[in-house]
Amino acid sequence: MTIDFSVVFPFWHILLKGLGLTIAITLTCAVLGSLAGFVISLLRNVRNPLIRLPISLYVEFFRGTPLLIQLFWVFFCFPVVFGLTLSPYVSVMLALILYMAAITSETFRGALKSIASEQHDACTALGLTPRVKVLFVIFPQALLRATPPLLSNVVSLFKESALISSVGIADLMFIGQNISNSTARPVEFLTAVAVIYFLVAFPLTRLVGVVESRMLRRYAY
Amino acid sequence: MNYQFDFHFLTGSFGALWDGLKVTLELALVSNLIGLVLGFGLCLMTLSRWFFIRWPAQLFIEFFRCTPALLQIVWFFYCVPMLFNVFIDPVAMGFLALGLNLAAFNSEAYRAGVQAVPREHLDASIALGLRSWQRTFYVVLPQALRSALPVLMTNGIGSLQQSALVAIVAVSDLMYVGKSLATEAYRPLETYTLIALIYFALSLPIAQLVQYIERRQEAAATR
Repeated sequence: MTIDFSVVFPFWHILLKGLGLTIAITLTCAVLGSLAGFVISLLRNVRNPLIRLPISLYVEFFRGTPLLIQLFWVFFCFPVVFGLTLSPYVSVMLALILYMAAITSETFRGALKSIASEQHDACTALGLTPRVKVLFVIFPQALLRATPPLLSNVVSLFKESALISSVGIADLMFIGQNISNSTARPVEFLTAVAVIYFLVAFPLTRLVGVVESRMLRRYAY
Repeated sequence: MNYQFDFHFLTGSFGALWDGLKVTLELALVSNLIGLVLGFGLCLMTLSRWFFIRWPAQLFIEFFRCTPALLQIVWFFYCVPMLFNVFIDPVAMGFLALGLNLAAFNSEAYRAGVQAVPREHLDASIALGLRSWQRTFYVVLPQALRSALPVLMTNGIGSLQQSALVAIVAVSDLMYVGKSLATEAYRPLETYTLIALIYFALSLPIAQLVQYIERRQEAAATR
């Protein structure tokens, strides 16, 4: 067979649409998941085991099972268990947020550990309330230190989001696979989709390095 | 919640689940083997002095790290037979796709480990007149392996989880068996819960081991 990449170009518009959906879902889930992840990382340090243990179990569970099965679980089982009807978009986003929250909570935990205990002591000495301490002392520093791994998490979420194609969401992966099936030209289309993913993800991974070397050296230490 | 749990229908399909589990374990183990060996090779290539060795390895790593694993698997299943005109057994194709993916991630872990080997050790091995392969295998590799171990193991768990993706191209691993059981019996809740628990039970001990090793390494570093 001959390989001819020019067959891809008539479809660029629809591929771009798929990419748009992938990026929109990734960004939404990244932001919401990271915020939830921060709260979860704080809750994992709580002394009360009734709060800490279920949270730890949740984190370990979502880190220890394939995202594919989490997606299926939320997609097929949430409606049954909780008696809600979720639209496909909501259910995949819920799954991705739960996954992202579990992953980022570990990132934040590492960052929280790196905040010196003197800072906690200083907050106590200054008589700051726990809310003020977390919001104005702990969170900014943890966020700054967690930025490079958080960015890596976002990149991996971007890649993992390809899985939502398996429950029928028309993201980039789904559209690429669909076109490749209907035109019987998998080599061209799958490669093109791979290149599109690469073109988005690669600059982001470079950004991680830049953030690490520039921003952190200037502000965090 | 007014749902009647019924795990009964699963009793007849333990054989199928067991077969699926075996395929999943096989996939995870072989891809880890490929990933560990090839990853070190790739890492050495990226640290090479020559551009023509360094550059292809770097491209390979970046490409595998920056595209979705699902896409890589689908790509391998559709495109390798077409491009090279070969037919490979689906499970072997799974080994290849997962193994190469893992190799790219592992090589980054090794690289961090290699770069953590103190400069003095390299000087010492030159002073002792070790050949470059002796230096690589007796001085660099053991130390790099040790400091990269937690990351390598985490990547290994990741590979176990990625192996669920081959279900999408109809390799009958645990996920695939679970999926067909769920659709056959109209009981997704029980089946998917069980499958998730099996994956969890497989990866939790390794994750705990990683934490243990990390704690020990931290303790050793502060001493």
